[in-house]
Amino acid sequence: MINQIPVNLFRFLLLLLAQILVFSNANFTSFVNPYVFPLFILLLPFETPRWLLMIIGFLSGLALDVFLGSTGMHAAACLLLGYLRPTLINVITPKGTEFEISPNVYGQGIGWFLVYLGISMLIYLSFYFVVEAATFLNFFLLFLKIILSAAVSVSFMLIFLYLFSAKKKRRYA
Amino acid sequence: MYNLFRFLVRYYLFFLFVLLEVFSFYLIFQNNKYQQVAYINEANRLSGRVYSTYTGITDYFYLRSFSDSLVAENARLHAQLSDSKYYTGIDSIRKNDTIGKYIQSYEYLTARVIRNSVNQASNFIYLDKGKLQGIHKYMGVINSNGIVGQVANVTDHYCAVRSVLNKDSRVSARFIKNQFSGDLHWDGINSTTASMDNVPKHAPVKIGDTVVTSGFSELFPRNIMVGTVKKVKMEPDKDFLDITVSLATNFSSLDYVYVINNIHRNETQLLDSLTKEK
Repeated sequence: MINQIPVNLFRFLLLLLAQILVFSNANFTSFVNPYVFPLFILLLPFETPRWLLMIIGFLSGLALDVFLGSTGMHAAACLLLGYLRPTLINVITPKGTEFEISPNVYGQGIGWFLVYLGISMLIYLSFYFVVEAATFLNFFLLFLKIILSAAVSVSFMLIFLYLFSAKKKRRYA
Repeated sequence: MYNLFRFLVRYYLFFLFVLLEVFSFYLIFQNNKYQQVAYINEANRLSGRVYSTYTGITDYFYLRSFSDSLVAENARLHAQLSDSKYYTGIDSIRKNDTIGKYIQSYEYLTARVIRNSVNQASNFIYLDKGKLQGIHKYMGVINSNGIVGQVANVTDHYCAVRSVLNKDSRVSARFIKNQFSGDLHWDGINSTTASMDNVPKHAPVKIGDTVVTSGFSELFPRNIMVGTVKKVKMEPDKDFLDITVSLATNFSSLDYVYVINNIHRNETQLLDSLTKEK
């Protein structure tokens, strides 16, 4: 558990920089705002207790907010993600699966990750974009924005996972 | 107290979550001007919708009294039309200043239809007013669109109106354009049309011409809407035109009607009988 801290700290910094310097700077279109930063919370070790997930989520979201000038919004969304993560993992993982220490694309497989990331990002972006817009007036446009952004975010996350995941180092928890 | 404490401990995760979310939203609304304004706008929009839905529902409960008062007002306004008045001036040239030269000649009583038919050869309409409300036999009945019929029978509280859609109905009508007049009667087939007889062949009648009451009978004042010309036929062996009039009144959806009281009816009837005795 202890050696997980530097790994996650490094991942946090990498994702934070990638988010603020690349993805939030790129201005794809007004409909596609990809967010890869939540991957940090999603890749925390399986055994992280829920209260710690929530606090890490809240604080890391706040850190992202500081750079993006959206005080509180990412904090609220990351907090929600941290709160729902254990429930989500329970729901989508078949009974009797052997867990590694952290979610790993080679361990759990691409299918599991697509579902995991897809549902997480839909929750995250729905919450974030609704709070950001603070209105349901252009409901259809908002819906389109959430779907497109989630799809693009998940694609980038998968690229990240394949770039930085350790291959076939099975360590059973 | 102990139970409360246990409750808090048991669900501490959820309370931590709510606490942190509340704090996040506090930060959002403290530091983001746009979200502040947009949230207030959204809240106002929601409350506005709730209130307008509420009034939309409650308005229905006042609809009856509202329409009753409107109908009463219509009756009052009808009575003020100059066609409902009788000119009392005796000068041969009508002066511009006519104040005080008119007295009331027609009164309008409002009534509601309680039974109606359009598909028989002799259609009668029953109204919810009768002798006690001042309704007598032979009064004319109109609604806001045009003529309806004439009162055929009266009881204390109700009356039966012989509809225009009745083979025994005869209404004196004329063209608003050229003053040629004729008799309107129903041919017993179509509830939206009636025939007009006794219009001479030389009358310039065209499709679409407006037909109104002539004011020759005691039933209706002048210029009450009857309908528009739908068909004109000229048959070589007849002296009169064959005219079909599409009626302005929709007889299948009658509700509020006005019963017309001709105040001078007795006088004209007396004159009639005196003239016929001779």
